[in-house]
Amino acid sequence: MTEETHIKWLERMEQDSRTKQQAFMNDIARRLKRPRTTEAPTHPYRGAPDYWQEFQWSSVERIDQFTANFQSAGGHVFRMADMDEAKAFIVNKANEMLARYILRQNVSELASLRLEEELADTRVSVWNTNLQEAWKARAAEADIGIVIADYAVAYTGSITVLSSADKGRSVSLLPTALIAIIPLERLKTRLGEVLIDFDEAGQSGLPAGIHFISGPSRSADIENDLTIGVHGPGIVFALLVG
Amino acid sequence: MSQNAAHTKSESNNVKPASVKERADLALNNDFLRKAVRFTTERLRDGKQKAANDHGHWEEWRERGRQIRLHTIAHLDYYLNLFADNARANGTHIHFAATGEEAVKIALEIAQRKQAASVVKSKSMVTEELHLNTALESIDVETIETDLGEYIIQLAGETPSHIIIPAIHKNRYQIAELLSKEAGEELLPETTILAGFVRRKLREKFLEADIGMTGCNFAIAETGSMVLFENEGNARMVTTLPKTQITLMGMERIIPSWSDLEVMATLLPRSATGQKLTVYMSGISGPRRKDDGDGPEEQHIIILDNGRSEQLGDPEFQELLNCIRCGACLNACPVYRHIGGHAYGGTYSGPIGAVLTPALNKNVDQWDDIAGASSLCGACYEACPVKIPLHDMLIYLRRRKVERGYGDKVEGLGMKGFGAIMAKSQRFSNVMKVGRIGQKLLVRDGGIPSKLGPLKGWNNYRIAPKLADESFRESWKGLQEELDKNSREMDPVIQKRMEDLLAKRKLEELEGGAGHD
Repeated sequence: MTEETHIKWLERMEQDSRTKQQAFMNDIARRLKRPRTTEAPTHPYRGAPDYWQEFQWSSVERIDQFTANFQSAGGHVFRMADMDEAKAFIVNKANEMLARYILRQNVSELASLRLEEELADTRVSVWNTNLQEAWKARAAEADIGIVIADYAVAYTGSITVLSSADKGRSVSLLPTALIAIIPLERLKTRLGEVLIDFDEAGQSGLPAGIHFISGPSRSADIENDLTIGVHGPGIVFALLVG
Repeated sequence: MSQNAAHTKSESNNVKPASVKERADLALNNDFLRKAVRFTTERLRDGKQKAANDHGHWEEWRERGRQIRLHTIAHLDYYLNLFADNARANGTHIHFAATGEEAVKIALEIAQRKQAASVVKSKSMVTEELHLNTALESIDVETIETDLGEYIIQLAGETPSHIIIPAIHKNRYQIAELLSKEAGEELLPETTILAGFVRRKLREKFLEADIGMTGCNFAIAETGSMVLFENEGNARMVTTLPKTQITLMGMERIIPSWSDLEVMATLLPRSATGQKLTVYMSGISGPRRKDDGDGPEEQHIIILDNGRSEQLGDPEFQELLNCIRCGACLNACPVYRHIGGHAYGGTYSGPIGAVLTPALNKNVDQWDDIAGASSLCGACYEACPVKIPLHDMLIYLRRRKVERGYGDKVEGLGMKGFGAIMAKSQRFSNVMKVGRIGQKLLVRDGGIPSKLGPLKGWNNYRIAPKLADESFRESWKGLQEELDKNSREMDPVIQKRMEDLLAKRKLEELEGGAGHD
């Protein structure tokens, strides 16, 4: 099987799919006993109830609520005045946990921490900086993954990370522990305040992966006994900075 | 391992008892299962109750959820079409499958094209519905369930018994035995040790698998994105690590926008487990972008009908398509809590399964006794975050079953006989006299303990009363005389009031008002 034939096959499948798509839609309209709907219908109940859309917490409440929710899900939250404090925390943790491998996103905020200078015995890798590297394997062996959150939500205690060439999905998923830095201005009250941005970005404006993370990986599948760190990171630190 | 699993599976299929009644007998005899099911469902149900109360305005949210689902299904041709077009624009390969067989064929073809040796799967009820694992194994593709509970029951060669906690029926000793066999060493029956083994074992599988396979909780029409809710991180693994991703979704999984997702994200985790949000909620929009360092290179979404569109335009069952698969109705159902999921015999169990299975299969006769496995108490409707009237649907199902001639023949005959006897009082009294003579053979200590023939169902757990020596009707004469004696000195005021009432009722009857008869 050559690459050429696979592409040909995909093209044939797409032709089939487009034909079937019309049949599916016509069948739906027939069963609903009306002509095809081709214009966007009015959607009077879009999104959360009205009272909720106006709901807002103050900055202090957002911090308190995020902290309470994230902790009750088994995560750890620390408040930092600035990035220097965040750096000191990370260096301390890495030493305390005897971290040998750290993997971080390739973003300027994290680069300016200069972790590799402080952590002489730890190998600090930067996501996707060398095209020859097996990055998934690097992520899988990492003791700690470090990310900057794109958003955070106080009401659900969630961190949001968006994927890009510099921000691999694996960085927040494969390492044993995860440290997420949350600049305070990115901490919202409600989930809807984050989601609306994706509606506004539209189809062409979204990254491949949008991930909400609300604590350490968990399961209650064995006798309802809570287990932490089944597949994803078992230890998650959220650092609220600002 | 995979062949072993397939082998045991087919074996357990062979001995599967035929009816809900028989399967429930098995479940009721299994003490651990009954306790585990009750404990888990009560924990989840109470968690849901607390989460709903803490959140507040729950009824308003339920109504909003219902409206969004109703709106989407009412315009499904528009939104599904929009989803397919946008997903293609994201670079996703979209496929439509009218039947389960078509969906399986497409999935297998992709696996063969990719020369896949193994598939890692995150939890998907649709793939259970299609028995896709067996199909993949038939072409020698190793198929690994990666949700902890699903992995356990796959090793046991069984099917999920609860939509949210699939291995609800296994205790940790049984789990330790299964995993020890897999590890080749003795694992202690401790949760952390067992989960730790699964983490290491499946980590290798994630990294080496050729294909990642998922279900889909919601698909967002306006951006062509698919959304997954999970707690373990395995759904993220299978959508991040393998080079090819295949997602199977029911055609009704659509919601219009990310804003609508806020409502679903509020209702689903709270209703399923009582969480404010699952640990991971992921929105995937197409394969990896050109410069991304991870994510699938090729992403396929197979959109499945398989009986779903049959519900469209059916006023009694269309709302079935609103279901968001949270499992709250299972936890609320008194019948499910007693018999557990396997007794339902289909992919979907509990009240939703009792309606969905026959609706998707279109074979009312084969699944006839499922609709009977409900007390019609309406707890499922109360629990449902999108207000599907499941208890009404169960009645519609029972009615349709009778209308199509699949009613219980013996029950029908019995009802006919009962009608004939009751039509004439003399006939009834003659039958009772015969019965009183006939029962003499069976009566012990004033009751009938026999489990012969039709008495078995009742007398398994109790003793039937014997027929009274004298019926109420027969003793009425004596009773009336006694009453007449006692009531002679009735308070004249009361007597007057009763006479007035009697006169009034007679007058109403003459005027043709609606009386008792």
